Amino acid sequence: MTQESITLDETIHQPTRLRIMTMLVSQPETDRLTYGFVQKSLGLTGGNLTTHLRKLEDADYLKLTKEFHNQKPRTWLQATPTGRKAFANYYTNLQKVLNWHPER
Amino acid sequence: MQSTKNQPSNLSPEDGWSAIHSTMDKSRSSMYLAGTATIMLLWGAIAAVGYLAMFAIETLASDFAEQNPWFPGPLWAGIAVIGFVGSSIIGNRAGQKISDGEAARSAGIRVFLFFLAVLFAAFVVPAAAGLWDDDTASAIPGVAIGIVALGYVLFGIMHRPALAIIGILFAAAYYIPHFLMDDAAIAVTAVATLIIVLAGAFWLRKSGVA
Repeated sequence: MTQESITLDETIHQPTRLRIMTMLVSQPETDRLTYGFVQKSLGLTGGNLTTHLRKLEDADYLKLTKEFHNQKPRTWLQATPTGRKAFANYYTNLQKVLNWHPER
Repeated sequence: MQSTKNQPSNLSPEDGWSAIHSTMDKSRSSMYLAGTATIMLLWGAIAAVGYLAMFAIETLASDFAEQNPWFPGPLWAGIAVIGFVGSSIIGNRAGQKISDGEAARSAGIRVFLFFLAVLFAAFVVPAAAGLWDDDTASAIPGVAIGIVALGYVLFGIMHRPALAIIGILFAAAYYIPHFLMDDAAIAVTAVATLIIVLAGAFWLRKSGVA
């Protein structure tokens, strides 16, 4: 058996952040989702979502853009190329970990 | 040997895998369901108006109803066009509130085409079955409602089971009074449909679906 160490990205490997990143990277690259849609879909409070978004933004995994639509503020979330690459690596590593488990 | 390290949470790899796929499913379904509660309210009001109009025509203008037994066809066709235009506007606005991208747009178009096909079937199937005739025209609403209810059930099975239940209740609101009552059946159906749709829309809003 080969000796290999697999690291799961700490920023992504957290229940809420994983779900946020999944929502964002499962959209086409040019697509953005609204803050409200992500919050409602994941059933999060505003404070909780903002905390996790800040961590993902600090890691350059997502971009927040505030715009006005019909004179109402709207916050858009979009996965960055760095975030997409990190998620792809995370997904690959997760698959490797799961394939290693004897019960799978 | 493979191992995981630096895991900051108690999320197991299995849970992570499951979270990814359930989130993808839920996210996709949420796009398909954008504006559903408001659209349902619109259709509830439209159905109630349609049933009450039928009831009014049958009771207040019974001669006209007897001479023109096909009158529910044009009535419901006109109502359906209003409902469809309204639903499209509501769905489009709801879509803009969730995403500005291609995925949400194509989800909206698919939902539009799904229900367009359902409504089309609701008019074409009775025609193909030979019901567009003076003697059998009174059976058209029953067939059309069954097809629309089936549309809700299929859509609900794919995206949110509660919608399937609403579809079944919607059909029951027509069929039960229709077979158990006489003249008052349509009025009872109108009220029952409105109650079901209001309750359904309230539940969808409360559960954060749309």
